[in-house]
Amino acid sequence: MTPVAAAKPFTAEEEKVLKSWTAHYPYPIMGLLEALRQVQLWNLCVRPEHEDYVASLFKTTRTRVHELVTFFPMFTQAPTGRKRVGLCHGLSCALAGSDKMAKCLEDKLGVPEGVTTKDGEFSWEEMECLGACDFAPALLVNEDLQGKATEDVVAKVARGGK
Amino acid sequence: MSESKTVKFKLNGREVEAPEGRLLIDAAKDAGVEIPHYCYHPALGNPGNCRLCVVEVQGAPKPLVSCRTFVKEGMVVASDSPAAMRAQQSSLELHLVNHPLDCPVCDQSGECGLQDYYMEIGRYESQVREDKLHKGKRIEAGPHVMLDQERCILCTRCTRFVDEVTKTHELGIFGRGHGQYIDLVPGKTLDNPYSGNVVDICPVGALTEKDFRYKVRVWYLDETDSVCPGCSRGCSTSVHTNTERPWHNDGRRVARIKPRHNPEVNGWWICDDGRFGYDSLDHDRLGRVMRLKDQRRELSWTEAFEEIASALASRSAGKGAGGLVVIASGMLSNEDWAAFKVLFVDTLGVKHFVFGPEPDQLGEEDELLRKREKVPNLKGGQAQGFGTEIPSASWDSLAKDIEAGKVWGLYVVERDLTKVWGQRTADLLSKLGLVIFQGPNKTATGDLAHYRLPATAYVEEEGHFTNFGGTVQAYKKALEPLGSAKPDWAIFHGLAEHLAGDRREEAVA
Amino acid sequence: MSTKILTQHFNEPKLHELATYRKLGGYKGLEKALKMKPAEIAAEVAKSNLRGLGGAGFPVGGKWSTMPPADKAPERYVVANYDESEPGCFKDRVLGERAPHQIIEGLLIAAHAVSAEWAFIFIRGEYGIPFKILEKAIAEADEAGLTGKVRVRLMRGAGAYICGLDTALLETMEGKKAWPRQPPPFPTVVGLMGQPTVVNNVETLAMLPHIIVNGGDWFAKLGVLPNPEKKLPGSGGTAVYSVSGDVEKPGVYEFAMGAPLRAIIDAAGGVRGGRKVKAVIPGGASTPPLSASELDTPMDFDSLRSVGSFLGAGGVIVLDETRDMSEVAHNIERFLAHESCGQCTPCREGSEWTTRILGRMLEGKGTSGDLPNLQRIGENITGKVICALGDTVGMVTRGFMKKFPDDFKSKVPA
Repeated sequence: MTPVAAAKPFTAEEEKVLKSWTAHYPYPIMGLLEALRQVQLWNLCVRPEHEDYVASLFKTTRTRVHELVTFFPMFTQAPTGRKRVGLCHGLSCALAGSDKMAKCLEDKLGVPEGVTTKDGEFSWEEMECLGACDFAPALLVNEDLQGKATEDVVAKVARGGK
Repeated sequence: MSESKTVKFKLNGREVEAPEGRLLIDAAKDAGVEIPHYCYHPALGNPGNCRLCVVEVQGAPKPLVSCRTFVKEGMVVASDSPAAMRAQQSSLELHLVNHPLDCPVCDQSGECGLQDYYMEIGRYESQVREDKLHKGKRIEAGPHVMLDQERCILCTRCTRFVDEVTKTHELGIFGRGHGQYIDLVPGKTLDNPYSGNVVDICPVGALTEKDFRYKVRVWYLDETDSVCPGCSRGCSTSVHTNTERPWHNDGRRVARIKPRHNPEVNGWWICDDGRFGYDSLDHDRLGRVMRLKDQRRELSWTEAFEEIASALASRSAGKGAGGLVVIASGMLSNEDWAAFKVLFVDTLGVKHFVFGPEPDQLGEEDELLRKREKVPNLKGGQAQGFGTEIPSASWDSLAKDIEAGKVWGLYVVERDLTKVWGQRTADLLSKLGLVIFQGPNKTATGDLAHYRLPATAYVEEEGHFTNFGGTVQAYKKALEPLGSAKPDWAIFHGLAEHLAGDRREEAVA
Repeated sequence: MSTKILTQHFNEPKLHELATYRKLGGYKGLEKALKMKPAEIAAEVAKSNLRGLGGAGFPVGGKWSTMPPADKAPERYVVANYDESEPGCFKDRVLGERAPHQIIEGLLIAAHAVSAEWAFIFIRGEYGIPFKILEKAIAEADEAGLTGKVRVRLMRGAGAYICGLDTALLETMEGKKAWPRQPPPFPTVVGLMGQPTVVNNVETLAMLPHIIVNGGDWFAKLGVLPNPEKKLPGSGGTAVYSVSGDVEKPGVYEFAMGAPLRAIIDAAGGVRGGRKVKAVIPGGASTPPLSASELDTPMDFDSLRSVGSFLGAGGVIVLDETRDMSEVAHNIERFLAHESCGQCTPCREGSEWTTRILGRMLEGKGTSGDLPNLQRIGENITGKVICALGDTVGMVTRGFMKKFPDDFKSKVPA
């Protein structure tokens, strides 16, 4: 194999942020999950070069990192939309008609579940319980709970919050 | 644990003793009770994920996994009670829900944990009405290993092996839940020097040997205890041979080599060099006793012994034993070395030997098993004085001596001089009046010799190797010799006898 | 009849701010606790009969007492389990959004009680809003010098229900996937990074300031007292219920331990649309359902066990008369199959198999063998797995089949 000088996966500023997670907890390795979360938010996915970087930063194996990336649904290997929409289909939300809202999301965003819109703006997915059964069916955009999903709320999300 | 206490407990109605703190699954095995299991492996720990080794323990609210339960005084254990059997059976059934059941085309058939336990504790009628989940098949994990994710039962033995034993981390358990799969870490290849061991520890057909795939059914194989000749570790092995059905396995007799557990030498493992380095046993073998020059002709052993003995005797008498150099290697068994000494030291009075492993018999060494000397028995030679009171000469000085005309004869045992001297070899050997080559395989050196004598490969004889640490191990005969091949010691012995006979004749005359 | 401890000031709009919280008596518990010896705090908590409100119901005082002494194991941790992820449970979310300092105060008391200098809050990654609120609250507490020598750190999960199980949570905190460990040793002996660690649910921790201020006896008497004759440990204080499903006013409602289920449903406005109750899941989706005839069951750990279910994390899901229990079971099993970590075979394979059988039945393709098979698979999973999630996999469908057999029989040929 000819060694290829890989493009650095992160900017100096980003590297600084990731590095700060190695010092946030009593042991560096404890910052791994938060660092990966940060990587996902920046890149909308975690790529192999990110895994390699993070593995060496946290002095662990690429195996462990790839296991985390494939175990936790928050991490994806292909880019999500910049707005990642989650619709809860846990029991209370299913009782409240989450299946209808799934159809509504598909219509309004114009892509099936798990597919990112061409402009990269949206992707949506059904998620397990979001802990918001009091707003069933619950809708999440990125990290923020939008409350109860209705046709109007979905339409507003699709319009970019306007 | 020092001075471990012995505890008594009841197993399947029988009073059994075991050292305190021993795992129940091991204590049961000691007592002759094999509890079904997949994930547990004595060298790889007890993650307790397969849940197959469940037993009933009196007083416990639910069945316990015997791989994570320690024996205690007075414990009452049943591995064969209806509740225990049912628990084991149900675990097996759940292992098989998504298993493809492709036994007819699976190389693991005949030695598969799923098959074996199905026959032992299963024998239920399948209730699965759903389609099987699909995962990756025919994945080339590395140069020696194929991966089938559908057959995998996720026992994690292989990932623990690459994490804990080789520390090379090529494999991981990715995904989650039923979507979980064992796979290579993206960009990696399972190419560590011990990769073949994952095939042995895989209890099912998920990891199979590339070389062995579709070659021969395991139930046609014979197994013989052996010792790996690949380096001075001398790992205990089992040689698996196919002789009854020569049309299988591409006509090769040796189908595969497996490690044989030996805590003193190799534990559970062998390296890939040892495991897969058996091509020479069935390829490029010497079977005929040949005089190559002058007047090329096949000889009987008696003819060969007579001709060679008289050539050695007459030249020794005329030019002195100092002009005969003997080249040997640590491939010889203890029995061979003993006969070697009788012939060359005691009978012929040879002074110059070359038997050091350098440079052609050296290779990589690591902390796990592999040793630098790629021959099994330099220690056995030492026991006869070779390497202690008798030094090994250097190749350079030998070449100089040949150039200077100080050498009249060369007796080469199992060694290819072209690996040392390269293209100079033919020229150097042409200066000699007598070159004898003895060995199991065709070599460039053998072709340049006056006499070429076929020796048996180690699997065709029995003998002993003494490893680097002084452990003496026996290897058994797995196959009949090819053609007229004889064990090295028998060749040395035959020559020695003929030489002794010549001397007796001389004395009479 | 609703007794409020944690939610008593929930009508205060700025309760999440330190000034308001302190004005209402906040951090008095910590102040008092810091003047007590760790052993005294533990004794008070043991007296309170506080049981873990995250689902397991383990006595909190009992858990702490299994920690090795601080002089023998000086490196030790406290972790607030804020990984609430079970369908029907959202009370922790609300507690954090409304009264973050109550959680932080409890966490600091626990840290003092077990002499830990690091305290963590592991919060599920989807709780972005509570996270931000807590982050701010911790900064406030730090600035006010309330955290003292204890370093409080937040950590976010990444989407796994199993992290709510203490040992899986600890694995994740150590940068590994959430595969549960198999105690013993328990986390209080070998926990985070191999050190003694107490893991308590956030609601449980939030109770501590009140116990310290008002005393363990007060707390114990609010709830269900132990019954030595029946060997029932009882449960002290209150519980905050998340009520959802077919009710008029889903939300959190706090009641004393032992309050009847009916009262909780009534507090949530009763069944939506004036329909009748068909079933109630009392403790979150993992707990077996109760039928309409069991609405007078007292809600506490022991009482629910006696009727074959669990208080769990108090996630009450009301199912009205129009609901088909085979669909409900399918939804829950699908959730469990998605959340099964995959470590042990019975849960990994059994959850998926059960889900697929139920799914096929709901598509109208049931076979006569399906019901006995579901029963058998469930029995073969529960009790033979590594963790409680697996036990649940085998219990859910059996629980619904037992109480609502007609909903299942109608999906297979007679």
